[in-house]
Amino acid sequence: MIIWGIPTYTPKYPGYGASPALVPYVSVGVVMFMACLSLLRIGIASIMNKHIPAEESEFPEDMEDGAGFTQVGRVKLQHLASTMIPCILLVAAIEYIAYIFVSFIFLMIFQYVIGNRKCIQSIVVSVILTAALYIVMRYGFGVPVPGPQFF
Amino acid sequence: MEMIIAGLLDSLAPASLLFVFLGVAIGVLIGAIPGINGPMAIALFIPVTYYMSPLTAIGFLVGLNKGAFFGGAVSAVLLRTPGTPEAAATAWDGYPLTQQGKGEKALRMALYSSVAGDFISTLVLILIASPLAAVALFMGPAEIFALISLALTVIAGIGTNSIFRGLMAAGFGILVGLIGTEPVTALPRLTFDIYQFGGGLSLIPVAIGLLAFSEILLQLEKFTVKGGGEHKIHVFSSKLEDRMLSVKEFFANTKTLLRGSLIGIGVGAMPGLGAPVASFMSYDQAMKRSKHKEEFGKGRLEGVAASESANSAVVAASMIPLFVLGIPGNLAVAMLMGAFMIHGMQPGPLMFQENAQFMYGVYGSLLIASLLLLIIGRFGLRFFCKAVNIPAMILYPIVVFTCIMGSYLGQSSMFDVGIMLAFGFIGYYMRKFDYSYVAFLIGFILAPEWERALQQVVIISEYDTYMFLQRPVAMGLMALAIFVIVRTFWIGINKGRKKQQLEAAAAAAGQHKGD
Repeated sequence: MIIWGIPTYTPKYPGYGASPALVPYVSVGVVMFMACLSLLRIGIASIMNKHIPAEESEFPEDMEDGAGFTQVGRVKLQHLASTMIPCILLVAAIEYIAYIFVSFIFLMIFQYVIGNRKCIQSIVVSVILTAALYIVMRYGFGVPVPGPQFF
Repeated sequence: MEMIIAGLLDSLAPASLLFVFLGVAIGVLIGAIPGINGPMAIALFIPVTYYMSPLTAIGFLVGLNKGAFFGGAVSAVLLRTPGTPEAAATAWDGYPLTQQGKGEKALRMALYSSVAGDFISTLVLILIASPLAAVALFMGPAEIFALISLALTVIAGIGTNSIFRGLMAAGFGILVGLIGTEPVTALPRLTFDIYQFGGGLSLIPVAIGLLAFSEILLQLEKFTVKGGGEHKIHVFSSKLEDRMLSVKEFFANTKTLLRGSLIGIGVGAMPGLGAPVASFMSYDQAMKRSKHKEEFGKGRLEGVAASESANSAVVAASMIPLFVLGIPGNLAVAMLMGAFMIHGMQPGPLMFQENAQFMYGVYGSLLIASLLLLIIGRFGLRFFCKAVNIPAMILYPIVVFTCIMGSYLGQSSMFDVGIMLAFGFIGYYMRKFDYSYVAFLIGFILAPEWERALQQVVIISEYDTYMFLQRPVAMGLMALAIFVIVRTFWIGINKGRKKQQLEAAAAAAGQHKGD
């Protein structure tokens, strides 16, 4: 941000007031300064062979059960991908395919991903939710649903 | 006087009453569901308020927040799973009462305590906010800049164990808040040539992503990886004395209620502390002053009253810094501040001059919400108890789809849905690595105001570097901000040292035993 982002995408100083780049530089500076202090602390602790308590560590573990839900290596990438990908596909597809169809498919897939294997329940939830939000948006707020409008 | 009457009459309009009623009812329902809290509910429902008048919208959101605070007690008492963090202390005595078949009695105590705490706090807000705002009007840009700096440093400590991470999150929030049009040159800044960034990032997708979507990602992870598990609800006793709360039982807890309310007001009025602090503090005081200390934690109504009166008193009291200084004291109020801004109003002392009638309307809605909470809670208690049983398989798709469509609703733009997903992803990592999303969000909301104040200081002072030294209040506030940071570091260092000493002592004792 300091080398490229802020200088390239910030207007030039107009000659009065504070520079438009001042506050962005200050905020990035705060982030960098705090990051350096954190690294310094970890470095000193490691040189002095001192253990930083889990709750104060930069990568603390979940203290409830020790399952490490907040540890770097324990980010469940597969779970993250399985939840995010249907959402991203919904955003991409809804502009081209009708809301009702895409929403129904999305909800079916999403329920499958989170482990719902009850087919009838999945269909009922998908239909009711798709229809309810359609009615609320279209007739409640007068906002067109995303994607092509068929009716 | 005319303004006051007109404002109060506005709050009594049928549409306003209806939406306050809906807000409270939905709030209690949502708060009762474990994992969904007040700020998350406000983030999800802000897009809906686009289509309401400002007073109706704020009344609805205030009702939602008040309802969610009481709703949190329902799952705390019935399942020992607090629906909201501030209800944790309620579970300590509420759940044992449920195990004894007195769950309904505990919930009634929680309801009356919530309403009492909330009502007293609302009255205090009404009485002191306006006079304090009149004093705050004497503050210039230098004081506002210093005050926001102080608020950011205080808030950086919320939701994280490390002030390093808190300040990093606040800095990142400010940076994201600066995306859009630069105020002096009126040219795009940090937009990376993406034209949709030209108007800045809208609060709604950012808040929904950080508060609701990331939370659901984490809950889903625990649900799918660890397994959900079924809730076991204890059955209410059929005996009338176990179900109903007698007048004598209620009045026996009056002192605790008043003390809890005062603690809640004090804590709520100070930015950064929040309702959990109030409820734990009040519970602790109730236990210390009780003649039956040994009964606390085993099912004592006094414990429920202490916790609930304090945490509900925070709701209205936390609006004092918002109305007086334009600073949000906690996440729920930050979301309300966003709602005010969406409806074209900048919360702060000027509101009492520019929108006096509206402000009295908000006061009216706050009082009506307290009354409606009593009525809705009294008659709908058994219905809300059923909300804790909603299966996760049904709840999660509803919340995720509402997040997506709620983000779209704001500007009818799928780009905003993309922003929401991106911030959901960022929020997931922030929560995983203990970066305060609260500090991020408040930094994001306050960034434009902070920069505006700085620009005014620079222009008015004509580049005088010593401007702050000529303004004693601003200098005091800046000194306080530095003090907060230094003190937090110092406490952290001391805590670490003490822990290491204890660990060393324990290790030495173990070795001695072994010898």
